[in-house]
Amino acid sequence: MMNASPDSQPTPIDVRGLVYERRDERVFGPLDFTVEARTIALVEGDNGSGKTTLLRVIAGLLRASAGEARVFGSAPGSDEARAGTASLGHLLGLKGDLTPRENLHLGMGLYGCKPGEDPDAMLCRVGLEGFGDEPVRTLSAGQKKRTALARLALLPARLWLLDEPYANLDRHGIALVNDLLAVHAAAGGAALVTSHGAVSFHQGVACTIRLTP
Amino acid sequence: MAAAFRAMLQRDLLLAWRRRGDALLPVLYAVMVATLFPFALGPEHTLLARISGGVVLVTVLLSMLLSLDAVFRGDLEDGALEYLVLAPQPLALLVAARMLAYWLVTALPLIAVAPLLAYMLGLEGPAQPVLLLALLLATPLLALIGSVLTALTVGTRRSGMLLALMLLPLAVPIVIFAAGAVGAAQQGLPWVAPVAWLAAALALAVVLAPLACATALRIALDS
Repeated sequence: MMNASPDSQPTPIDVRGLVYERRDERVFGPLDFTVEARTIALVEGDNGSGKTTLLRVIAGLLRASAGEARVFGSAPGSDEARAGTASLGHLLGLKGDLTPRENLHLGMGLYGCKPGEDPDAMLCRVGLEGFGDEPVRTLSAGQKKRTALARLALLPARLWLLDEPYANLDRHGIALVNDLLAVHAAAGGAALVTSHGAVSFHQGVACTIRLTP
Repeated sequence: MAAAFRAMLQRDLLLAWRRRGDALLPVLYAVMVATLFPFALGPEHTLLARISGGVVLVTVLLSMLLSLDAVFRGDLEDGALEYLVLAPQPLALLVAARMLAYWLVTALPLIAVAPLLAYMLGLEGPAQPVLLLALLLATPLLALIGSVLTALTVGTRRSGMLLALMLLPLAVPIVIFAAGAVGAAQQGLPWVAPVAWLAAALALAVVLAPLACATALRIALDS
């Protein structure tokens, strides 16, 4: 794990002329943008405009067709990039037969843990007090989302890639996401967040990336 | 890295424990298949004793095939696979933990029940421990090769049949060596050579299969 101060780190995301094509059909691009530390960037666009695809390219799951993306100065998906990145997608990756607490411990086992964080305190923080020992499959969609958010906030990653983090959440849940993002940015983190624009975002947005089909 | 391996192994064993009824199904299947042979071939003792080693090996292979399809299916469906690929750990290491858990949960109960099935069919004497040894080497080999094929077919629908068609040809040498060792022991001949071949193949697969599996999973997700 890298523990150097955030300011000495290379730019979290640096994208130059990024294009992604699926079967010779352009999904998005060419895109140019950077996301600095302490910044939350919002990716906007209609359904099918390539928001999720952009996040998957930056995470390193998909290979860009042209152009270049750099995550902490390295290629997406490389060891250096993965060490600093945490994702939250449409599929939350929670195991339904495990409890939220076990899921958090699993995430910490795989990704490491931010110093000074405690899974039980984090479950209370996201409003899952008393649900820590129920199997995740018995929780509601919003509670599952909150479990995934708790896992995200525990990880030491300095770059968050969040795909529709507001989906399934109630008003308090939306405030919780904004709160977690604000704390993350204040601690030197960066985030790339997609939204189809239905949710009004909190005031700390530093830049908006607009995708047009 | 060791912590990630342990977390992954613990996860899979815990998941298997929460669904412990599922682990019993391949065992019951193996018992039923092995029981069918005396009904089909008649109760002639010498014939059953001669084919017992082979019957048990093939039965165990088919039972493992039943659950092989599910090795990465659950993780693909709930998205956990993506989080494993994106984790700052060598994917091959996590995949190796997954394979180890699969072998412990699926193959160990089968190995435990196999001597009983062999005895039921009339396999006796020094061939019994040889069968056990052959199974201890052949089942992890099948689990490793099978996991690579599962990773290759993880994105496709109805992958179960495809998986069987891909795995069975690759299982032929494993069955030949394992059954050869048991047959040789039954006739009082030296049986070390085929067992050594199995062990050599297993050593190779332990190193290469997780790497191949990790690459196959990355390809499966890149679409």
